[in-house]
Amino acid sequence: MKRYDLIVIGAGPAGLSAAIEAAKRGAGVVVFDENARPGGQLFKQIHKFFGSKEHRAKIRGIRIGRQLLEEADQAGVQVVLNATVMGIYQDKEVLVRIGDGVEHVKGDAIIVATGAAENMVPFKGWTLPGVIGAGAAQTMMNLHGVRPGQKILMLGSGNVGLVVSFQLLQAGCDVAALVDAAPQIGGYGVHASKVARCGIPFYLPYTIKEAEGTDHVTGVTIAKVGPGFELIPGTEKHFDVDTICIAVGLSPMSQLMKMAGCRMVDDPRKGGQVPVTDAHGQTSIPGIFAAGDVSGIEEASSAMIEGRQAGIYAAAYLGYEEEQQMDAEETQLDQMLDGLRQGMFAPGRKGKKIEKTDEGIAISQNLLTRGFVADDEIERFPGVTKKAAVHPVIECTQNIPCNPCQDACSQGCIRIGSQITALPAVEESSKCINCGLCVANCPGQAIFLVDESAQGGAEITIPYEFLPVPKEGDQGTALSRSGQPVCEASVVRVRSSKAFDGTHLVTIKVPAEYSMKARFFRPAGRS
Amino acid sequence: MAKITDRSRDIGEFVPRPDDGMIICRCEEVTKGEIRRAVHDGMWTMAEIRRYLRCTMGLCQGQTCSKLVKGIVASELGVPGSELEPATSRSPMRPVEMRVFANEVEAK
Amino acid sequence: MKNTADVIIVGAGIIGNASAYYLAKKGYRVLVLEESDIVGDGGSSRNGGGVRQSGRDPRELPLAMYGIKNLWPTLSEELGRDVEYVQEGNLRLGKTEKHLQILQGLTDRAVKCGLEVSMISGDEVRQINPYLSEEVIGASWCPTDGHANPLYATLAYYAAARRLGVRFITGESVVALKKLRGAVRKVITKENEYEADQVVLACGLGARKIAGTVGIDIPMVSMMLESLVTEAEPVMFGQMLGTAEADFYGHQTKHGSFVFGGTTGLENVVKDNGTPVNCSLAAPSTCRGIIRYVPRLSEAKIVRTWAGWMDYCADGVPVIDTVDEVPGLVLACGFSGHGFGISPAVGTVVAQLVAGEETSCDISGLKYDRFHAKS
Repeated sequence: MKRYDLIVIGAGPAGLSAAIEAAKRGAGVVVFDENARPGGQLFKQIHKFFGSKEHRAKIRGIRIGRQLLEEADQAGVQVVLNATVMGIYQDKEVLVRIGDGVEHVKGDAIIVATGAAENMVPFKGWTLPGVIGAGAAQTMMNLHGVRPGQKILMLGSGNVGLVVSFQLLQAGCDVAALVDAAPQIGGYGVHASKVARCGIPFYLPYTIKEAEGTDHVTGVTIAKVGPGFELIPGTEKHFDVDTICIAVGLSPMSQLMKMAGCRMVDDPRKGGQVPVTDAHGQTSIPGIFAAGDVSGIEEASSAMIEGRQAGIYAAAYLGYEEEQQMDAEETQLDQMLDGLRQGMFAPGRKGKKIEKTDEGIAISQNLLTRGFVADDEIERFPGVTKKAAVHPVIECTQNIPCNPCQDACSQGCIRIGSQITALPAVEESSKCINCGLCVANCPGQAIFLVDESAQGGAEITIPYEFLPVPKEGDQGTALSRSGQPVCEASVVRVRSSKAFDGTHLVTIKVPAEYSMKARFFRPAGRS
Repeated sequence: MAKITDRSRDIGEFVPRPDDGMIICRCEEVTKGEIRRAVHDGMWTMAEIRRYLRCTMGLCQGQTCSKLVKGIVASELGVPGSELEPATSRSPMRPVEMRVFANEVEAK
Repeated sequence: MKNTADVIIVGAGIIGNASAYYLAKKGYRVLVLEESDIVGDGGSSRNGGGVRQSGRDPRELPLAMYGIKNLWPTLSEELGRDVEYVQEGNLRLGKTEKHLQILQGLTDRAVKCGLEVSMISGDEVRQINPYLSEEVIGASWCPTDGHANPLYATLAYYAAARRLGVRFITGESVVALKKLRGAVRKVITKENEYEADQVVLACGLGARKIAGTVGIDIPMVSMMLESLVTEAEPVMFGQMLGTAEADFYGHQTKHGSFVFGGTTGLENVVKDNGTPVNCSLAAPSTCRGIIRYVPRLSEAKIVRTWAGWMDYCADGVPVIDTVDEVPGLVLACGFSGHGFGISPAVGTVVAQLVAGEETSCDISGLKYDRFHAKS
């Protein structure tokens, strides 16, 4: 029977990272993936990632996917696509479907990196066509170029719900509302703000009462949720929509490991059924490892580090790496992983009510429930300063593990410090040269350049990721953080550059009194 | 892992609810009420529930509804969902045509 | 909670559940102890669902014939749940002269026992079931055979017994029996002790170790059984199918899916390494067998395979008996992979043995002390 040093199941961020590290150390590695394209979810991730340089921050997922594939190729990893692993049998035998046949292969080690599947929530009408998972919507839009619907309601305000809502807007869909049964928004505030400033209303704590329609969705009714998760009569709201997107979390796809006989545990903090693993990600069966979402739901950035660790462990298990060397590398990767697992959204703090930032500043309550920081809340954050010249205004108000803005500024205007989750602060003494890199590099699109000294009003530079890109001279409406029209605005400058990686910098002119209110631009003639 | 369970433990009477008609398992069209009633018939494990009603055994292989079914069973039994062992996973992970399964090819 | 009962049944598979049901109907206080967390997790949920008389050893044929005549036709009403019993006959198929010889032997033996079974030609086979391959040259045909859903039947007996007040305890692993004053009395589990006037061992392979604690040995070995199921297909045929060489056996369920089992020739040597039972060679082999006989199914998608251990008795038929040396002990084990079809009759007979009544069927060939050296 064909024998590999290492069989990796799943060519997503974790699996590819694992394969690269093991192959670099000399192991013969094959990666099986059931999809026609490698990269797992990365190729749907058209947004820029959070983190720091070492986590590949500010790079869009789709590009990270390409980078990983190149690295895998260079390391000599064999990636087999359209290859469905049907089962793991005794003695680390894997049965894989390739084309019209099945092949029996064995690995001296196996890394399972099969990722996760979307959760569903039942409500009246949930089986109607038009009710789809947010991940499915993302696949339709970003892989196949198909709009999932015209008018959409999103259920779920975690990062997936927020990011996909924004992508739906980018694809030209109309997002009617974003709804969550929790009392506060689950994802990053900056992601919520991107959606809110487009005028999308948030309804919390609300949930779907009923999807309407006979053979497809024609509308939806939501209702407010009481403390015991019961629907409160009289709070119903109706929306005419053709699509309902569900983003209520993910569950590890760990069935292969259960099938193999690995000891499993149901851990709600990890999203469900996961294998019991030792400090090295090894399951109860020696030589079978787990990496990425399959061992607990996290972000792709964490999955890549976990994958690298699993690859190194597997290499050590196979004798391609000395234990001492492994320990040293492990420590380094553990630190990187720790970096991502800090801040307000750290795994241990999920769902907890947080009143103040690490700096002791009161959190914006509007951000938590309505998706935007109110005018009277914004000025208390260290990234928001006033200056009589062009300067960055950083509306980043929660402690999240992310610091590309600090690296972006060659002038030292932006300071986060060694603690990656610290709120970015603007150094008053440094001089902004209006290069715009901080605006383009911020994965949360939370940085604006404000110049109140400009002739005839204030000039505000905003990150813009919609098509068509406005042109100099275009007229339109400036929108507030909550997406409400504030005043008329005209486009005075549009900058696009390779260094901005697809984010366009649109500078609008508004009356000076709106300099701290106008945060988005709607071209004339669009709703 | 075996856990001693007296199947005569009183879990109360079956009480009909307004949403009993809601389909939970789309592939096999099993409703919430059927699942709740099965618990009162004595089906206290995910394996028994699925063998009794077919739910989670359809084309999607339980990917969509397993968690939902588990939640309903746990709530009917008054135990946390994490206490319910999921039914064993089985090959093939994805449905496969018989002619393909029959066609064993030597790996190159 | 009281740990006593009139009868303790060890094993909540279909044999244990059916026995519990018929005993409860007779008014006994019954306690069922099941080692697994799951009711019906052994051979009861790992078989092709055949309710056959043809092809059976004459020693167990009376149970099969009694069940099909008296119990299966009304079982769904009796238990209050559809067990999907279908009586549209059994075709045991052959493709070669050698196959036909095997089938003729089985047929002759069954006819002698009074069973309505005959050899038919390939064309006659295809008149009954047009989906069978032209390569089929003959079959044995028993029109009164059929099939049912083993999962439903096992759990329907459980639910019905429970309604009659039978107490079931799962996750309770019996380690020993103990005689008091010359008769069986105590049932000792890993953590508890129970007492009853009579004890029924209906726990497959596990019965060997438990019976050993009161000095009785039933010669059984473990053998792997694997089943597979397809997605729902349009309704094609109602017969139970099998072949002369047992490459596969199975039927189409009411739901539309096909449930099949098969043999690889390796089932008695598959190793148990503590992980869920499986053999990577089994399903491909069964699929090849099926396609050769029913070509139309080659595009049907398999959604699941599942396997387990069965209790293969030294001479291929079960032990159903009271034990003279251990008064109060009743054995119902060693079903060797064909217990499902006779389970209602076995449950009836076990209840009669416990009650000291005359059994409805002749089980004289299934005694516990029938095993002897060949010379």
